[in-house]
Amino acid sequence: MDLLLEALREAVRLLRTGDGDVYSITLRTALITGASTLVAALVGLPVGLGIALGRFPGQRVLLAIANAGTGMPPVVAGLFVAILLWRSGPLGALGLIYTPWAMVIAQALIATPLVVSFAAAGVMALPPSLHLQVRAMGAGAASYVWLIAREARLALLVAVMAGFGGVVSEVGAAMMVGGNLSGETRVLTTAAVLEVNRGNFGTALALGLILLMLVVLVSAALTTAQARVRRR
Amino acid sequence: MTSITATPALELRGVRVRRGGRDVLDVPHLSVASGETVAILGPNGAGKSTLMLAAALLLPADGAITILGETARRGAHVRLRRQTATVFQDAALLDMTVRRNIEVALAMHGVPRATRRARAGEWLGRLGVAHLAEQRGHAVSGGEAQRVSLARAFAVRPRLLFLDEPFSGVDHATRAALTGDLRALLAAEGTAALIATHDHSEALLLADRVVLLDAGRPLQIGPAAEVLARPESEAAARFLGFSVLGPGGCALLGLQGADGATRAAVAPDAARLDVAGTPGVVRRAEAGGGAGRLIVELASGDTLAVALAVEALRAPSLAVGQETRVAVDARRVVWLAR
Repeated sequence: MDLLLEALREAVRLLRTGDGDVYSITLRTALITGASTLVAALVGLPVGLGIALGRFPGQRVLLAIANAGTGMPPVVAGLFVAILLWRSGPLGALGLIYTPWAMVIAQALIATPLVVSFAAAGVMALPPSLHLQVRAMGAGAASYVWLIAREARLALLVAVMAGFGGVVSEVGAAMMVGGNLSGETRVLTTAAVLEVNRGNFGTALALGLILLMLVVLVSAALTTAQARVRRR
Repeated sequence: MTSITATPALELRGVRVRRGGRDVLDVPHLSVASGETVAILGPNGAGKSTLMLAAALLLPADGAITILGETARRGAHVRLRRQTATVFQDAALLDMTVRRNIEVALAMHGVPRATRRARAGEWLGRLGVAHLAEQRGHAVSGGEAQRVSLARAFAVRPRLLFLDEPFSGVDHATRAALTGDLRALLAAEGTAALIATHDHSEALLLADRVVLLDAGRPLQIGPAAEVLARPESEAAARFLGFSVLGPGGCALLGLQGADGATRAAVAPDAARLDVAGTPGVVRRAEAGGGAGRLIVELASGDTLAVALAVEALRAPSLAVGQETRVAVDARRVVWLAR
């Protein structure tokens, strides 16, 4: 009990003073997670829409891969990216291993199947009559995709939220490809693991609380956006 | 089958749709003349919607589909669809205001932005739903949504309108009102229309010609009143609610066909209870659409439907198993080809 109280006191102090690079770590976490979610959205939303709306060979296989990818362990994604970016690996010449870019790539790899799967499911859940009606109105390909995406906008937003949720709290891939380098690739999750290993439970708890606040803030922002979309 | 001449708004030649290795639609020829309304009448599963979707270029089909003189080819479907409009059973309004729903359709049809709002307002007014203009499409009731759907269809001034059981999801009173409004609009706009329905009275009121469809194939095509009164086959007769009597039943009822015809179709209102008639046993009572029918089995095993007021069906003398006597108006019997 004493340990917990001590940890809480330390957490409050860190949050108040910003010692131990707490805020720079937080900012880096937000940037890396935001960038990987953005990449996942830019890739995953069109792919999800394509799977749901298109007619092409291998469509079901692609959806099955995306669905399976939603359960991909972050360490596996991290391992895959680490092998690619390792100095002696196929993309080693790019010198990305142990950089924030490597973390963005690994996290985007984790988030993209989530976005694809949720987006495809959301569009597929629309009534078939809606698809027919939009086509019957004389919609060309672009108008058709736009109107259907507009109808599924809440589901697409949920898909992006799922992608964000999938990476903001992961630690395996971030550790593996980022290396948890102080001032460079240290993010809230890897820093918290490090502090626990050192026995600094207060610092770890502070980092955990900040991570929790970050998740709540982003979720609240997306929920607000969701409510606005609903009203429009 | 009747053949339509003049420049048709729609013409189907050898149109087939295959599913699961079998033809679910096989229409050798069907046309809708400019300004004409043709009803596709058939039971559930007859292929009405498949025919409607194929004709509206919303479903891949073999054969030739010609819309307003242009045979549909790959790459021309969107352009051709923009000369038509389709109303489905589900109004399928988009999640935006009712007015925007119509404006989006107008935009697809190339109507200039400046006139869209006024056109949408005009058609919402004509369909009696102007007060819903700023409501969300998903927030209006089924009957209102179908009115908006009709407004959306007519607002684009289509030269050909497809209506796929447009009123089957609404209550009787709303359906009757919508059918009346649709009839008036079709007449006023001179729009050619193909309408799928399973309602005989709807087909009779709206259509110039009727196509009886069963198992994806046209059984009979002709003027609405003629098709509904004179089925040409046993399947058509049964779908239209006629009793089909074999040689034994005909003999018991004293009916004799010309040219040796031995199978007769009898409309329920051509049969009556008659104390001097042929004996039979009441097998069941049916009611639907405000009308009642008593099903009587003759000694030959044939069953005869007799039209009766629904209240009359409750009489103890007409309970199931009771003996009764029936007669048929011989002048109204339709003799079926062998």
